[in-house]
Amino acid sequence: MNLTKKNSNGFCILNIEGRIDTTNFNEFENEVVGIIGTGEKNIVLNCKGLNYISSSGLRVFLIAQKKLMALNGKLHLCEMQPTIKEIFDISGFSTIFKIFETEEEALA
Amino acid sequence: MAFKLTKSLASRIVFYVLSFCVFLFLISLSVFYFFSKKTIEDTTRKNALSLMESTVFKTEQILLTTEKISKNYKWLIESHQLNCDSIMFYTQLIVKNNPEVIGCAIAFEPEFFPEKGYYFSPYTYRENGELHSTYLGSADYDYFIMDWYQIPVTIEQPYWSEPYYDSGGVDALITTYSVPFYRYSGQEKALAGVITIDLSLEWLTDIVSSVRIFETGYASVISRNGTFVTHPKTELIMNQTIFSWAYELESPQLREIGRDMQAGNTNFVSYVKGKTRWMISYTPLGSSGWSLAIVFPRSEMYAPLRQISIVLIILIVVGLGLLTFIITKIVNEQIKPLRYFAKSAREVADGNFDNKLPEIKSEDEMKDLLNSFEHMQKDLKSYIEHLKETTSAKEKIESELRIAREIQMGMIPKIFPPFPDIPEIDIYAMLEPAKEVGGDLYDFFLIDDKHLCIALGDVSGKGVPASLFMAVTRTLLRSIAPKQRSPKVIVDALNKSLSLNNESSMFVTFFLGIINIETGYMQYTNAGHNPPVIISSGGDVKMFEITKDIPIGLFPEHRYEEKEMHFLPSDKIFLYTDGVTEAENWDADLYSEEKLLKCLSLVKKSEPIEIVMSVARDVVIHVNDYLQSDDLTMMCVVYYGK
Repeated sequence: MNLTKKNSNGFCILNIEGRIDTTNFNEFENEVVGIIGTGEKNIVLNCKGLNYISSSGLRVFLIAQKKLMALNGKLHLCEMQPTIKEIFDISGFSTIFKIFETEEEALA
Repeated sequence: MAFKLTKSLASRIVFYVLSFCVFLFLISLSVFYFFSKKTIEDTTRKNALSLMESTVFKTEQILLTTEKISKNYKWLIESHQLNCDSIMFYTQLIVKNNPEVIGCAIAFEPEFFPEKGYYFSPYTYRENGELHSTYLGSADYDYFIMDWYQIPVTIEQPYWSEPYYDSGGVDALITTYSVPFYRYSGQEKALAGVITIDLSLEWLTDIVSSVRIFETGYASVISRNGTFVTHPKTELIMNQTIFSWAYELESPQLREIGRDMQAGNTNFVSYVKGKTRWMISYTPLGSSGWSLAIVFPRSEMYAPLRQISIVLIILIVVGLGLLTFIITKIVNEQIKPLRYFAKSAREVADGNFDNKLPEIKSEDEMKDLLNSFEHMQKDLKSYIEHLKETTSAKEKIESELRIAREIQMGMIPKIFPPFPDIPEIDIYAMLEPAKEVGGDLYDFFLIDDKHLCIALGDVSGKGVPASLFMAVTRTLLRSIAPKQRSPKVIVDALNKSLSLNNESSMFVTFFLGIINIETGYMQYTNAGHNPPVIISSGGDVKMFEITKDIPIGLFPEHRYEEKEMHFLPSDKIFLYTDGVTEAENWDADLYSEEKLLKCLSLVKKSEPIEIVMSVARDVVIHVNDYLQSDDLTMMCVVYYGK
């Protein structure tokens, strides 16, 4: 898994590449929680490069969502691959997160 | 072992050094031998030549004296009026004044002095130190036909005769020098007679036999026709020629040498006689036509070289022996600490890290080794201690995990068939955690006589945290469900309990169904779990209609939906966790829902146990020994109806 960060339009955009599973969800969690800790309230997770996510990974998404909600912030997901979207649909997570087709829409 | 190591190291070094030394010595010795041989040959050649020259010189002095005497008297006789009575006096003078001369005759042509008759030859000879005079020539001794007279007359030259033993009682080897003399009247030259001087060859034998070279080297003189005049083997003298001897010895080389000596040449060559190679140096002896030879065995010529070589080889062998001894000693001394190190290493291997190391005072590789060794001992010691601690801690954890697994496995029903008294229903399920404990769960139980509750869930994550959450979920389920008939209510209550104080944001995807055994209707709630598969009695195998609800444990106020489906007799429902569909192989290919559906289609007519086992086998084949990354849980329920 590789995480790259950039800022645009009041959002902190995180590009996720690779897979998030039980072996590396900790790393992912620490990075995301760390970024929220620096005061970022509005975060876009661009899932274009995300190939696979396990339930441990979903848990980190949820933690991020909960923390940002507590801060009155926003967590937007975008550009999901169909297989990832399917996981979100099956698990009902699609209803918890705001998911956009493109990054522009997520930043709007 | 240590001794063997050092021994072999020392012997290896000795072997290499010695090989090199032997190589060097062999080369040096060969060069030395070659050049020494050459020098010895040259020196010997020179020595032999000078020896010959001095011998020839001594010999020629006497021969020349003899020649000079005859020449003087020839002149005397030829240039003066002769008184026939004074001739005898001349011969007496010659013998008396020259010790080597043992006889002298002045023989005249027939009737030279008519008053003296046909023969006239005064002759003086020495016998036992006394001089005796007589006249030669008679009917019995017609001296004109004798060799000593006839040959010089014929060749009109002085002539040295072949050596011979005097028949006149003197038991000595003699040679005779004969000089013809003439009378002149104007241009006319007429033969007058022959002066002969008999020379004892005793002095020649003395001179020649005094020549010594090396151990057994000797000198020899052969006459004009090859007869041995002197030779250490006295039986050869006058009895053999060099040619007859060569024939006897079967040495054609010697015959060639004899011819060359006859031709009056000087040379230094070798020849083989018997099994020995001999060296021979020869040169002619003045005008006599004789040849002097110096002969010695070649082996004697090289004897000093051989001696030196033997001494050298002995010295080298002794030196190499000493070298071997010293190298072995030095190497053994130098690598002595290695034995201690080897011993220490064995003790380290046995777990003793406090073994004393050898003291090394030198600042060299051994010191480095000592330092490294000490370092290794220390590191190993702390490492082993650390390892012991972690191992015992790990063992503790492992044993705790084993117990935890037993507890967890005890929480799920594992007796199949579970309800032998209820023919309408059959169930089979399995749970295989990826680690000792897992976060998957399944459960089924009768709420009352006609309601069967089935549940299957997957806690986010794996291992101990997930297993604890699973235990909580399952315990809550068992405490809530018996009082309820609605899945929605059960799930709402479960969700509420789990969501409160869920600091770690763990969640459970959860499927809960309640089947009315009499009617075949099932109320169910799917909280974010993988869609179950329905295997209808008609043969359809398809994913169940999905209710898109969120997993439980997230938001306490969330309200879940409830749906209903109807089982026809022999309809089956297959529940599973994503450990099945997302089982990975070496190429990171997932088992996938397609493969699951395909596998289920092949066994759709089978009993639940066979269906679950078939999918498990299919997953094992797909995974192909790759690491099981997630818990694997399946449950199959068949509704036979009334």
